Amino acid sequence: MVEVGDMLVGYATDENIRSRGASGGLVTAVLAAALEKGLVENVVVMKHINEFEAVPIITDDVEEVLASTGSLHSVPVNLAKYAMGRKVAMPAKPCDAQAVIEQGKRGMIDLDNTYVVGLNCGGSMHPVTTKKMLIEMYDIDPEDVVGEDIEKGKLIFKTKNGEEKAIAIDELEEAGFGRRESCRFCTLKIPVNADLACGNWGVIGDLAGSATFCQVMNEKGAKLLGNAIDAGRIEVQPASDKAIAIRAKVNSVMEDLGNTLEKEIFPDIPDEERMQYYMEQMEDCIDCGACKEVCPVCACGDDAKCTMFHSLVDNYKMSMYHMVRLLHLSDSCIGCGQCSDVCPSDIPITLLQSRFAIPSQRRRDYKPGMNLDTPPFFEVMLK
Amino acid sequence: MKEMIYQTVCPGCNIGCGLYVRENEEGTLAVDFMKSSSANLGKLCRFGMKLPYHYSKATSMVDGKEADIETAVKAASDKLKGAKNMAMLAVGATTNEEHLAFTKIADALGIVVNTGIGAYEEIPSECHSSISQGIPLDDIEKASRIALFIDPYVQYPLLVRRLLAAKKNGATIVSLACQDLNLADENVSVNPADYKTELGLDDNSMIITDVHPHTDPEQVKNLLNLALMTGAKIMFMKPFVDSTGVHLFGKTAGQMGLQEIMDGINDGSIKTLVTLNSDLLELMPNTDEAAKTLEKLDNLIVMTSRDSPVNEMANIVIATEPLYAKAGSFMNVEGQVLNNSGESTVGIDAMSTLSQNLGGEASDFQTIHNKMMESVLQKYTAPKYSELECKVMETAAPSEDGGNLVSVYNPFMWCDQTDDNDFVIVNMTMVDKLGLRKGGMISLTSDAGSVNMRYTVRDIPDGLILTMKKLPVITGNTTEVKAEAV
Ligand SMILES: Cc1cc2nc3c(=O)[nH]c(=O)nc-3n(C[C@H](O)[C@H](O)[C@H](O)COP(=O)(O)OP(=O)(O)OC[C@H]3O[C@@H](n4cnc5c(N)ncnc54)[C@H](O)[C@@H]3O)c2cc1C
Ligand code: SF4
Ligand code: SF4
Ligand code: SF4
Ligand code: SF4
Repeated sequence: MVEVGDMLVGYATDENIRSRGASGGLVTAVLAAALEKGLVENVVVMKHINEFEAVPIITDDVEEVLASTGSLHSVPVNLAKYAMGRKVAMPAKPCDAQAVIEQGKRGMIDLDNTYVVGLNCGGSMHPVTTKKMLIEMYDIDPEDVVGEDIEKGKLIFKTKNGEEKAIAIDELEEAGFGRRESCRFCTLKIPVNADLACGNWGVIGDLAGSATFCQVMNEKGAKLLGNAIDAGRIEVQPASDKAIAIRAKVNSVMEDLGNTLEKEIFPDIPDEERMQYYMEQMEDCIDCGACKEVCPVCACGDDAKCTMFHSLVDNYKMSMYHMVRLLHLSDSCIGCGQCSDVCPSDIPITLLQSRFAIPSQRRRDYKPGMNLDTPPFFEVMLK
Repeated sequence: MKEMIYQTVCPGCNIGCGLYVRENEEGTLAVDFMKSSSANLGKLCRFGMKLPYHYSKATSMVDGKEADIETAVKAASDKLKGAKNMAMLAVGATTNEEHLAFTKIADALGIVVNTGIGAYEEIPSECHSSISQGIPLDDIEKASRIALFIDPYVQYPLLVRRLLAAKKNGATIVSLACQDLNLADENVSVNPADYKTELGLDDNSMIITDVHPHTDPEQVKNLLNLALMTGAKIMFMKPFVDSTGVHLFGKTAGQMGLQEIMDGINDGSIKTLVTLNSDLLELMPNTDEAAKTLEKLDNLIVMTSRDSPVNEMANIVIATEPLYAKAGSFMNVEGQVLNNSGESTVGIDAMSTLSQNLGGEASDFQTIHNKMMESVLQKYTAPKYSELECKVMETAAPSEDGGNLVSVYNPFMWCDQTDDNDFVIVNMTMVDKLGLRKGGMISLTSDAGSVNMRYTVRDIPDGLILTMKKLPVITGNTTEVKAEAV
């Protein structure tokens, strides 16, 4: 019997899935079982194109789920929008899970029918930057990469010929590579907001590399895991105290790092310079709307407040679109980095949205996307 | 039907932005970001974001009646057999492979495929490779000084980030675009004769301009000279998804520009026109005038993957699959071959049948594709040309009660697609001169008619009125208009 609060270590019973999985294939097996046993009608997974490219698919085909094993650290998509309007199970980085909950608050996702298998996340990288980094820092041809891992603060790449090369993430980030900026100040590393929280932190001894540590966060999580055990898809065992302690330790180191980097990434700006700062940062905006389209917490359709009051014929120094978005997302922005990723003018829009949102979220002791206990507050602080 | 996901390239310009098109069970389209695409990192401009509106499925027609594609191809063969005074046009708005299959039809008919850029004919052929040859977009970021002859924000938006990156790397940017650019260090207006002395370029510099169906060949020559004299690299941006491919793989000799084709129809030397993804109603500056011209044709045969206005006028429409679903490739402005993930060859098969019906060669996708890939390697050449003679370029001074209405060609304009661009740009002097009121309109009148427009005020040279949208008063690149407040 699986119970809420359980801390387990497990893996897929199918050897093939286990060996292809990022760490034991448990996540894939849980998703496949949810589909096979009719817990859900669809599963959202990543369809691999290559090591640096994958596309989220919504599938009812177990084979497609089984083919989706592996963690793609260089495919920084947010999966929440793909789950809308369906009875689904999905893998979810902490920011995916946060966005699912924010959409749930706004009635766009039915949380009772959405099963969220959380993945710990030390950060994701941009595919093109990663390829460049492989050439310049690792001296590896991107085409030769067959796998990647993050261990002890190092980013490891495995190549076709079985070799591994590791470089400290700090060193990579100093050279302008490594994780996306949003991931550097992200402090939610274990998805305690998901139904299950899975990852390789805390997997030790013989099982290291071939099993997943899994914390059962709620009843849905217990159902998901129980279902996979009943289906014969996974085997689990209780995690040892040592494993639990190691996982907690790594998590706290990562959280501390995120907090330190946040201070570096958001230097103070005197109040009187704030407006000027935002205007200057946004002055090359071409009004493409991609930052809205991609935003996983935005629940407005085409007729949104930010677009409604905005027209290119207006000559405002800063567009109405951005003014409205800054205000409107102040209670829901999760700092996921999607908007910066897709901005054609390379405007650090995530940093701007976060700089605006974080102070008012903190004052309310409110972190978006964590649970349904507190409704969105929508209060603005010009700090 | 399951959701289909296609890896494709944005048809809005020749930057070649990669993206996914998702087609759901009901056939509704959505774009998704393909972050591994090196040209754009998955980023898209306004046009790219609106692609679902752009992809509209065409229907095959014969003499105004819906038909299946085989019937349409058969009807086209019948019309083309023995026809005289023919012309063919393909501007580069489809795949390399379709362009080559279209060229086989031209071979069977003993004519060439025109790509519609008249400037090529006016410029010595030894310069052509410098115009059509690709330069890596990354090179922009490495230049120490950049001279811009286009407005990147409006015309080629995915250049903006490259230019900003160049600035971060220490570059200075001098802009000669028609409106002041925020990213430029200097916004200047310089006479072509003074480019060399005034712009401060050297062999670490880059000139960025463009070449399109309405480009003034004299400006191309001036800039080629500037590149030659300063040693700066020159990059010609282009408006269509395969503009670079069609010039690399097509025949460059004996080409007609769009205006020449229209003149040919007007003087009766062209009676039959066959087009491939090239709608002259959209491409010509004035839609009504273009329609009047096309009405004079005996036969208008349109092969297209889009439902565009010219289909209504055509005698025959051969409707092919949407661009994103085609098997095939495009060559972007860098010279990169970008492949579609689609596997459909409806268009190529139709062209193959047509070519065979006319006694020409068959086209098979894989053979064409392989041949095309081989020639990619062969065709590159180092630029070799000597200084070109240029005429003095003159723009008529605007009259007292008006201005020069200038089109800022952009992805929306090339396919006459609606955008939030229903206004013109004027400067403060014009506002004062005409007594324009806030919230009021400006009336523009030319030989072609009259239109009332909203306006916005920016820093642009006196006497200029800029439009990003096709307007019924436009007669050419620059149209003299009478302007009044309303
Ligand atoms: C970007 C990223 C960073 C991670 N960082 C850490 C870390 O620092 N510490 C840690 O303990 N664990 C981390 N994980 C989780 C870990 O890599 C494994 O996913 C987890 O242990 C489950 O392993 P598994 O073998 O059961 O998963 P698998 O059975 O291999 O299943 C993996 C699932 O993840 C999905 N997926 C793959 N890439 C992504 C993506 N980019 N976004 C969303 N879903 C994706 C796949 O569709 C699949 O469903 C990270 C995962 C990702 C995706
Ligand atoms: S924002 Fe946080 S959860 Fe999301 S990918 Fe980055 S590190 Fe992971
Ligand atoms: S505004 Fe940007 S960072 Fe914030 S949730 Fe939306 S996409 Fe993510
Ligand atoms: S994505 Fe960038 S350019 Fe597009 S609207 Fe947002 S900030 Fe502006
Ligand atoms: S129009 Fe050009 S710049 Fe814009 S998305 Fe398409 S290819 Fe990229």
